[in-house]
Amino acid sequence: MTTTTTAAPPAEATAAASGNHPLRRFLQAREASTFLALVVLFALGTVIAPGFLGTANFLTVGQQIAQIGIMAVGMTFVIINAEIDLSVGSIYGLGAICCGLLMASDVTWPLAALGGIAAGAVAGLLNGLMTVGFGIPSFIVTLGTLSVYRGVALLLSGGEPVSLSSKNPNVAEFNLLGQGKLFGVLPMQLVFFVLIAVFGTILLSRSRYGFNTYAVGGSAEAARLCGINTGRVKVIAFVLSGTMAGLAGVLGLSFLSYVQGVTGTGMELTAISAVIIGGAALFGGSGTMLGTVIGVAFIGVLQNILNLRGISSFWQTVATGAVIILAVTADTWLRRRSGRR
Amino acid sequence: MSSPAGTAAPAAVEVTGLSRHFGPVRALHDVSLRVPAGSLTAVMGENGAGKSTLMKILAGLDAPTAGRVRVADEPVRRFDPATLLSRHRVALVPQELSLCQDRSVAENIMLGAEPGSRAFPNRTRLVERAAELLDRLGVRVDPRRTVRRLDAATQQLVVIARSLAREARVLILDEPTSILSPAESERLFGVIESLRADGVTMLYVSHRMPEVFALSEHIHVLRDGRHVGQWRTADVTPDEVVAAMVGRDLAGEFDRGRPARVPDPAVPPRLRLQGVTGRGFAEVSLDVAPGEVVGVAGLPDSGRVELLRAVFGADPIDSGSVALDGQPFTARSPRDAIRARVAYLPGERRHQGIFPTMSVADNVNVLTLGRRQRFGVLRRGALRRDADARVRRLRVKTATTGQGITQLSGGNQQKALLARWLAIEPRLMLLDEPTRGVDVGAKAEIYRLFRELADAGVGILVSSSDLPELLSICDRIAVLAAGRLVGVLPAAEATEEKVMALATGAHTVKEKA
Repeated sequence: MTTTTTAAPPAEATAAASGNHPLRRFLQAREASTFLALVVLFALGTVIAPGFLGTANFLTVGQQIAQIGIMAVGMTFVIINAEIDLSVGSIYGLGAICCGLLMASDVTWPLAALGGIAAGAVAGLLNGLMTVGFGIPSFIVTLGTLSVYRGVALLLSGGEPVSLSSKNPNVAEFNLLGQGKLFGVLPMQLVFFVLIAVFGTILLSRSRYGFNTYAVGGSAEAARLCGINTGRVKVIAFVLSGTMAGLAGVLGLSFLSYVQGVTGTGMELTAISAVIIGGAALFGGSGTMLGTVIGVAFIGVLQNILNLRGISSFWQTVATGAVIILAVTADTWLRRRSGRR
Repeated sequence: MSSPAGTAAPAAVEVTGLSRHFGPVRALHDVSLRVPAGSLTAVMGENGAGKSTLMKILAGLDAPTAGRVRVADEPVRRFDPATLLSRHRVALVPQELSLCQDRSVAENIMLGAEPGSRAFPNRTRLVERAAELLDRLGVRVDPRRTVRRLDAATQQLVVIARSLAREARVLILDEPTSILSPAESERLFGVIESLRADGVTMLYVSHRMPEVFALSEHIHVLRDGRHVGQWRTADVTPDEVVAAMVGRDLAGEFDRGRPARVPDPAVPPRLRLQGVTGRGFAEVSLDVAPGEVVGVAGLPDSGRVELLRAVFGADPIDSGSVALDGQPFTARSPRDAIRARVAYLPGERRHQGIFPTMSVADNVNVLTLGRRQRFGVLRRGALRRDADARVRRLRVKTATTGQGITQLSGGNQQKALLARWLAIEPRLMLLDEPTRGVDVGAKAEIYRLFRELADAGVGILVSSSDLPELLSICDRIAVLAAGRLVGVLPAAEATEEKVMALATGAHTVKEKA
């Protein structure tokens, strides 16, 4: 239902003038500008970056964006709710540390992985309960927990890195989550991202919960007057965000066999960037999962091109920031011109 | 009926042929009036009569489409607040107080008039000067206190003191008592007397007859953007003023061709309120029978909005009992009310009614999603068909139901919201300003719909500031004043004059006199 909203056909007047051409409808879809930018970037990469065009490279990009992508899926729910979660980078570290400590004490890997994910879910639940219960902005709550959860991760690890030895068969199996390849080709992390993205898409655009998310983000008071439990909708979004961040942390540990208290620092900004580049508005009520996936892909491709060109990672940071500003500016201009909301 | 007002004193403010048009809407049309220096002149009128527009123009918050304003014989050339305040010395005390909540009383009072150098004001003198001004007004408050910790009444006095700091000679008070308790109002009246003694000219906007008759020397009445009457207060009665506000010519223009419904005493009422008290209203007892349309009239601050919200469960009820069809009913949240098939149409459509980022279909389906899911997945086809059917039934003009709701006109948005609520087949509908911002054609359709619903047995409780509307669609009209039910008039007996007299307390003036 909700995707029909965001890809809403143009106003009567525009429809009459343009004949409601499918191309025009496509161009007015919220994801269109990001998608076009991705196409342009893709073409640019093909021309200027040797080795860009090729299945192997694309799979590498897929592997690299998977963790951020999973976090961005959770973040999309939070942002459409007109909230923000600044703590996901810390939750990533907390989930990885929890999982790592469990693995180090020889807990069987599925339980250890679930432990890391559960730590993320609990952290998200606390974010949600504090935001709704105290009635204070989630910006403040998660700015606080950004620090609290990071501190907890450092305390749990005692400041020492956790390193897993793959000679241990339990660890070797665990490593398959992050290092394995499905059918010997597809990186498992990418498979997880795709599954999560599909789950997120269905939840957001085809479930009652997703519908309520758009309603609460669009107008919390109207939603309350329609009998929607707005607090619960928001808390669930934070739980989703925390759970995804915990899962991403577990995958990160599985990939590297190594984690320390500071792992994941700054990832929240990349995840938020992906959602914003994907067209979601910080005011809430709008955005799509497809947009977020495109936003994630955009960031991944951009970094990949800069890598292939041998440009310093410092410049990559600059470029990512510039792209956020460009993307939102372009989207705002396009919207103003087309009169779409 | 008018006598020339105050020709002797020189004019502090003179308005000539003033108009403010918003497209085809004439908020103010060809208004001329003269405010004698040193007087208190009241400006009265119903909601939408143009009072606020006139005051905004005089304070420089809006500019006229046509016409001239002279203050102390000097023409106003630029309409912005800074010019009106510094050059013409006109200050506004708005309904929504605008103070820096986290700064001190003294800093707020002296804002823009700080003693000492511009960049580094002398703080000692700032506090002294503020204290002087408060003293002059007879207000006892420590100028070093933070504004946030003051009650609304004291904050209002701080705003008045601020206008004195800027040496205002004309003070516009826009419904100053609407936020005050009776005791606080008395304190304000004392301050007004001391301002009068200082020779400050005051323009006083209010709906309330007793205070207008107690304070003013002249009364002007606006109606539908036009100036329709002016008197010396001593030469006029509250009833004459009410008649001018309402406009006798309007009566009879609306169709009242509906026999009043006599409720069957054997059938329990759809809604029964007994001594219901909540925030903004107290001790309200009222019945709505099946098929009855009951209006709630009253000034904007009379508690009618709050009453509807509380019955719906959007705000808490402190005491009293509510019954639906004879069964006790307490809605702790809107969810409870919806489950009991009670509908509520909020007055603030843009902020409380529509979901602005969603489609028409989503907006009309929000209450019935539960019926259209399979294994937790919404059935898009069924939802689309639901929306199409609902939109068609209420003749909502929209290209497709997939269109964004904000692209519809106000009237069609309102029809879409009604379509949303009809989906739960309500037995009781609580409607707040159901035709605000709705064009005439859609209005007629909405009234017809109410009648159909009532004939089908739905109980309707409708709150509105549009009196002709209430008179034409209601079986009975309940009037609230200051949160209390002051009368229930059967449609046959109700007139705009009677309702306004109850709502404004015009009768209490007569009793005093």
